[in-house]
Amino acid sequence: MLEVDSISVNYGPVRAVHSVSLTVEEGEIVALLGPNGAGKTSLLSAIIGLVPVAEGTISFQGQNINRLDTESRVERGLSVTPEGRHIFANLTVEENLILGAASRRDKDGIARDLETYLDMFPILRERYTQSGGSLSGGEQQMLAVVRSLMSGPKLLMLDEPSLGLAPRIVDQIFKLISGLRDRGLTILVVEQNAQEALKFADRAYILSTGNLEFSGTAEELRTSADLMKAYIGEGVA
Amino acid sequence: MSAPALDRAPGRRRLWHIDGARTLRSLRGGMIIAVFAVTFGLLIMLFGEPYQVRLAVAAYVNLIIVIGLQIFMGNSNVANLSHSGFVGVGAYITAIFAAPAMIKQTLIPNAPWGIDEVQLGVVAAFIVAVGITGLVALLTGLVLVRLSGIAATILTLAILVIFHGIFVNWVDLFRGTQAFYGIPKVAGIKTMLVATAVVIVIARLFKDSRIGVQLRASATNMLAAEAMGVNIRALRLIAWVLGGMVCGVAGSLYAYYIGTVNARAFFFHAAFLTLSMHILGGMRSVTGAVIGVALISVTMELVRLAESGPVILGVQMPELLGLSGLMLGVIIVLVMCLRPDGLMGGLELDEVIRRYVKRGRN
Repeated sequence: MLEVDSISVNYGPVRAVHSVSLTVEEGEIVALLGPNGAGKTSLLSAIIGLVPVAEGTISFQGQNINRLDTESRVERGLSVTPEGRHIFANLTVEENLILGAASRRDKDGIARDLETYLDMFPILRERYTQSGGSLSGGEQQMLAVVRSLMSGPKLLMLDEPSLGLAPRIVDQIFKLISGLRDRGLTILVVEQNAQEALKFADRAYILSTGNLEFSGTAEELRTSADLMKAYIGEGVA
Repeated sequence: MSAPALDRAPGRRRLWHIDGARTLRSLRGGMIIAVFAVTFGLLIMLFGEPYQVRLAVAAYVNLIIVIGLQIFMGNSNVANLSHSGFVGVGAYITAIFAAPAMIKQTLIPNAPWGIDEVQLGVVAAFIVAVGITGLVALLTGLVLVRLSGIAATILTLAILVIFHGIFVNWVDLFRGTQAFYGIPKVAGIKTMLVATAVVIVIARLFKDSRIGVQLRASATNMLAAEAMGVNIRALRLIAWVLGGMVCGVAGSLYAYYIGTVNARAFFFHAAFLTLSMHILGGMRSVTGAVIGVALISVTMELVRLAESGPVILGVQMPELLGLSGLMLGVIIVLVMCLRPDGLMGGLELDEVIRRYVKRGRN
């Protein structure tokens, strides 16, 4: 579904991503792991079109999307839930959700999706007219995910969905993510919390200082203590 | 009917339920603000002295301008200093098309395209004026939306200066520094009140629309909004043109009220006055526009009294010329320091009322 072919991303003179390739097949959950500053977020930003690609190509559903702007990529079915959630504190829950559907024209579909998701997440219905800033961290993450879903994506990219959340909430969020896969969504999740991500992912990639260091099934990675130690950190495996 | 059509029917009803309910809420909110804003004017119209009515009309013209300012600035959070220029365009175009051809042949005998022989009806001239203001806003907006932050604000300042330069130097069309008179005085306080109510409702509907929501999101976090697929440039352009047209409405009505137009009325002083009204009330709120205009209009009138050296309790006070300008500056400084979000913050009147009702129930 998504094919990233040896792309590089530069920030001025600094190369953040070195010729990285990865693929995501339809219906998969793929985890993109690695320490801080590994280039994970840069890679996501390049895929969604927020930063330009220096080299390489990105294809989505068989079409090269290198030259498309973010709006068109979202329209085609790519969606990202940014790191730190970026809930618009000034806007109400309702308005945050409307915003998620910014690139859509089918008003009927928007209304239907909104109903579906509010049924799935009753807490959001409860908080519907409150400002996004008044929600708890977990609720905000839920809102951020649902907001991304409102664009009607085929591939959902989540950037550090567990960041700053209590373990119990993290569990909930990941259950929610695998629930979305069961509804036919394809998911690329960037995480530092490898242990948690690998419980749900089918395959995983490890990035380190902008280079791809590992790619394989989540199972392989879970069982390889060396790999985990080398790239993910101590005390994990 | 085929099966899919039946399938879609419940979705449509739900759409009305969600989108329609939101629009209705917004409309009701706008009308509450409009009633609030217009009440003062009605009272003055019914019971006020003629000079009070004159002051009220000036305040309502300013309110329409501030609403125009709010539509762009309040939603996109880009400071705009050029709005007075658009008021000027609206006023001058009204003057050019509505003044009797006979008067124009003495005022602007060398006008291009034989415009001095054209004379439109009052309503037609109003529509043309607002339309041309919108067109001018579109042209300037195409440049403006390519910039952001300080660069955009400096551009709006340049637009104000350019407009003024054109008014003053294109003597054949605008009469330069001399007044353009002879405009039929057809607008009174009633017209102002109706127009105010209409633009308030428009501004509120715009704020709550999908465009407004997306713009406000981009104002808090441009990158996150962009990641959501928000086309910031296009939306800013829409807000810019709509806001410009509302300023054009203010200019046109102003011309119809006062009967003469002078370029001085559309320059720094006017821009600064309306901007401070906007900032005091709270940029993100339509209600804030009303409150800012009301407070500053009243304050300015009191200051004007003080300037002329009144007699208080039998004591002759000294004349304090220039106090009004000073006061405006002080107000802006104080608001920026103490309440940078303005008096209303982002809240609207109906939201405040709802909060109080809720608190009362608990």
